[in-house]
Amino acid sequence: MILIEIFSAPNCPRCASAAVLLHSIVQEHGDLCQWRRVDVVEEIEYAVELGVLATPSIAIDGKLVFTSIPTENALRMAIDGHVREHRCNG
Amino acid sequence: MGEYRIGQVVEMLGLSADTLRYYEKIGLLGNISRLPSGVRVYRDKDISRLKFIQRAQQMNFTLAEIGALLKMREDPQGARVHVRQLTARKLEEVEARIRTLNTLRDELRLLLNLCVASEDGCPIISEIEKPR
Repeated sequence: MILIEIFSAPNCPRCASAAVLLHSIVQEHGDLCQWRRVDVVEEIEYAVELGVLATPSIAIDGKLVFTSIPTENALRMAIDGHVREHRCNG
Repeated sequence: MGEYRIGQVVEMLGLSADTLRYYEKIGLLGNISRLPSGVRVYRDKDISRLKFIQRAQQMNFTLAEIGALLKMREDPQGARVHVRQLTARKLEEVEARIRTLNTLRDELRLLLNLCVASEDGCPIISEIEKPR
């Protein structure tokens, strides 16, 4: 299972569209990927531990990958890369 | 090479004259040079030691610990085992403090970034107002 986390905040103007994009890409991979929204105000220690300094940011399997809203292509490539790796590692 | 009267050192470092005299008395500063009139003259090396003392005090090191660290600072190769061990322990404390401060800095930076980016309202306020 690959866990993708999107770090968002109340009143963050671009977080909602980033979440919609993430949701649509994650759905393409069925049960292999799961995503969750992390409210950085609620989980600030965890966000800082991962190096989040702005929202939206996206982490894959506990590692910060995007520090701002990615393009659809960049996000798809990053997730696909993890999916391939996951499949190879069995 | 700079030479400073006690009043100048007080102004420069924000320490009181009594504190400077006390540090000299307990040996933290060594012997401060004096003019024939008896007026103390602090040299750059003394100022450097005083700044080290101030930094160490900000880390809540005791004066005894600071005294030992100053010996190490004066002669790192000739330091006794217990002074070397103390220095290593204090280094760990400093590094732990840096990690704590880095985390605090990042939290504050994130909160400020959220404020700047938010359409209305400010998460920093709700975080501060949140009951602990």
